[in-house]
Amino acid sequence: MIKAAVEGWIELPIRKFVDDSQVVLALLLHPTGQVMAQHGFTRAMDIMSACALASAINASSVELGKMLDGKPFSGLHHGGVNRQLFLAETPTPRGPYIFLTVFNEESSLGLVRMFFDEFRTNLASAAPPPPATNQPTLNENFEKELNRNLAALFGRA
Amino acid sequence: MSTPFTAALDALTRLKGVRATLAVAAPDGITIDSNLQIGQDGSRVAALAASLYRRARKSAVAAGFGGTGFMHLEAAEGRLCLLGGDEVVLVVVARPEANVGLIRVEMLRVAETLA
Repeated sequence: MIKAAVEGWIELPIRKFVDDSQVVLALLLHPTGQVMAQHGFTRAMDIMSACALASAINASSVELGKMLDGKPFSGLHHGGVNRQLFLAETPTPRGPYIFLTVFNEESSLGLVRMFFDEFRTNLASAAPPPPATNQPTLNENFEKELNRNLAALFGRA
Repeated sequence: MSTPFTAALDALTRLKGVRATLAVAAPDGITIDSNLQIGQDGSRVAALAASLYRRARKSAVAAGFGGTGFMHLEAAEGRLCLLGGDEVVLVVVARPEANVGLIRVEMLRVAETLA
């Protein structure tokens, strides 16, 4: 069974976003590239690649925004021929997360942006308080945590 | 900043009972130009109205009715009038007592001038 979220509090906001906006793919990840929730992916390998790329694109656009505008860009949109991509940061009491979504002609950028604003609010209110001891993400833990999250999403935990 | 739609939206806004007018990019649901009152969320109206119009056009084609022209949604607290094509949708948000016939005529006239 493919689950939507690694942690329960993320499940409802992401399901609501997907239902409302009719997107094809959705991915919530930690800025380090750890997957937190997904919709539409069927292979763990695709999630790993999408997370790595989304994390890198977000890091680049944040820096580019700071360079050009003095502050990070708030969202990134790429319009393809058949599918479009929207990438943005979403703050929570647990720190910022990155949200990536892909949509086709069943949805639109206007709808995605509108429902993303709602998702951001819902996610922030659903987030539990940050853990008392916030462990830094260390290189030696990264792969272990990534595999644990992917296993949780694909029912192998 | 004025756009090619500013004069058209101004003309529609002057009609009695009209609360807001928008020109929206049909594929994206993003506002191109608008006349809104304070407190109105134009981006929500634009996104949802464009989606509604796009789906109505698809439904009409699927049912073999051909292209969609004017579309009117009547709700308890107001009316939504839509007219457009593949690229742009004109949106008029009006009060329940507004004259829809007049709004329709003016929207068609404005659409002709923009074509």
